[in-house]
Amino acid sequence: MTYAAARNLARPTPQPAAQPAPGAPGGLPRLLPGRGAAPADLRSHLERHGRPPYRGQSARLIPVLQESGLTGRGGAAFPVHRKLTAVIEAGPRPIVIGNGAEGEPASDKDKALLRIAPHLVLDGLQLAAEAVGARSVGLYLHRGSGRPEQLRAVLAERAAAGIDRRPVEIIDAPARFLAGEESALASRADGGPARPRFKEPRVFERGVAGRPTLVQNVETLAHLALIARYGARWFRSLGTAGEPGTMLCTVHQTDGTRQVVEAALGTPLRDLLALDDRASAAGGSGGSSPWASTAQAVLVGGYHGAWLPAGQAARMTLSNAALRPAGGFVGAGVLVALPADRCGIAETARVTRFLALESAGQCGPCFNGLPRIATALDELAGPRPDPQVRADIQRWAGLVQGRGACHHPDGTVRFVRSALQVFAAEIERHARGRCTAPGAPPFLPLPPGAPATDADWS
Amino acid sequence: MNGITGSTALWYASRATGVVSLLMLTAVVLLGVLVNRQGRLPGLPRFVVTGLHRSVSLLSVAFVAVHVGTAIADPYVSIRLAAAVIPFTSAYETFWLGLGAVSLDLIAALIVTSLARAHISRRVWRGVHWLAYAAWPVALAHSVGSSTDMQRGVLLWLAVGCTLAVAGAVTWRAARAAREVPRVKRAAVTLAQAARRPREAGLR
Repeated sequence: MTYAAARNLARPTPQPAAQPAPGAPGGLPRLLPGRGAAPADLRSHLERHGRPPYRGQSARLIPVLQESGLTGRGGAAFPVHRKLTAVIEAGPRPIVIGNGAEGEPASDKDKALLRIAPHLVLDGLQLAAEAVGARSVGLYLHRGSGRPEQLRAVLAERAAAGIDRRPVEIIDAPARFLAGEESALASRADGGPARPRFKEPRVFERGVAGRPTLVQNVETLAHLALIARYGARWFRSLGTAGEPGTMLCTVHQTDGTRQVVEAALGTPLRDLLALDDRASAAGGSGGSSPWASTAQAVLVGGYHGAWLPAGQAARMTLSNAALRPAGGFVGAGVLVALPADRCGIAETARVTRFLALESAGQCGPCFNGLPRIATALDELAGPRPDPQVRADIQRWAGLVQGRGACHHPDGTVRFVRSALQVFAAEIERHARGRCTAPGAPPFLPLPPGAPATDADWS
Repeated sequence: MNGITGSTALWYASRATGVVSLLMLTAVVLLGVLVNRQGRLPGLPRFVVTGLHRSVSLLSVAFVAVHVGTAIADPYVSIRLAAAVIPFTSAYETFWLGLGAVSLDLIAALIVTSLARAHISRRVWRGVHWLAYAAWPVALAHSVGSSTDMQRGVLLWLAVGCTLAVAGAVTWRAARAAREVPRVKRAAVTLAQAARRPREAGLR
């Protein structure tokens, strides 16, 4: 995994001449130190940003967050100030948990952030806890990833320096795709299995131990820590008016490299990915194609996201305003450029199979429907599939949509439907018994050994 | 006594609603078992089975209420309100009416926890709901024991029929539960089945 502050990505909106806050870092990157720099230890973190600016009272940070327009960076892009307000209004003794369980196999950004800038995340966690008046604070991390051990050491160092006001408990997450879902997190923090539950009551109303629980993605907390220091105007100096600030993206290029990049919202996708807007999902005819190294399609928003034809993606920007009308969204910032010498249907089938096996097995439409859709996609990925298969997938997709406790069926269906649309030409090729990339090695990343059908949920 | 007169109306009302209550409670238990195992009734989606279970439960409460109310109001035997609620305090048929009071209390607990389900923990609700398997046999014993009518003829066959139906349903439930696929394996099992027969395994 590599990371970089994408150069030339800052597209500042017109700003008044005065700096919003003295000493505020300008430009990119904000969260990650410069390219090649060592992970931020406590000393360098304090030198760069100082101690967390506690407000001395709850709720004082909320107007600043509202003005900043910060939204959740875990994928749902929910306004942060509204969640904090809801937690405060829901009742006394709330709990705050930072969510670092990045189950998406194509995403590295939370792992990278925790490894490289853990102090920003932990500052944000303390400031969020103060803002809602929480005494109980947790950090939710995948076990076996090395993060729990690393963060324990970092927390001990901060405790010795007297930085944290509330002790932080590390909660370990199982290696499941859905473990980072908000209600799965609440269930795990309660000592149960990390399985999602129905939306009502919402976790911010009644979460861990029946108390109002604020769950924020670790990147959101890092942004919060910077906004608390440098203000809302500084935050808004990058990004668009509707979607201010920057976000971490995991960018997968056609040559198979993946990089964590911090980019301003509104950055053109072609600045992040090598895209040629003449290319299309029609693709080439194998390795000898002139488009061999160019992208035929772009996956935005990860495995619950959507495929876009490369030509369309090349005209889009990194923002929900641009992507939503095309059926996509920025989500947690996963961007994958699929090279022209791969079969989009085979790739989609492989990932859908993984998603089906990551069903929590609780809702019938999910644990019955997704495996059938995955099997049908497998057939579609092979030579001369039954002409009926495509219609079957569409019909089953309609039957599972909106019928799960969590968004897993909906997200999977979005991913599958976009593939049927974007790779329509490939499907026709398969009907004639041909394929763009017969026997090509897999491109979209899956966890090693996945899918782990009987892996633990707790 | 010949026919229903002013003095016997309450007595007959109590008996009739008692019999209807038994039938409805039996239906509630059967539907409850079906809901628990995610079974279906022919031609009905699952949510209708769930809805039916709820509606019939609430309706049976109405019949039980009339059954108890008329029994108390009936001047032929003296049953005080307290005896209908507190088990084994009735002077008349102490044991058999006591069983009626026990099942009444159990049913009340089931209904109250179900109405308040959104406000209590799922574990508590589930724990209390297991009492259904105690409430039904107690209610049946109360019916057969306190009513001489039910010890012979058509009503006896009705009681036997109800018993067989509930026994059958409980056996079916236990057998289905034993064959249940653990949650973590459900998707994998469906995937394996779907791979064997990709076309026929149609979703409904």
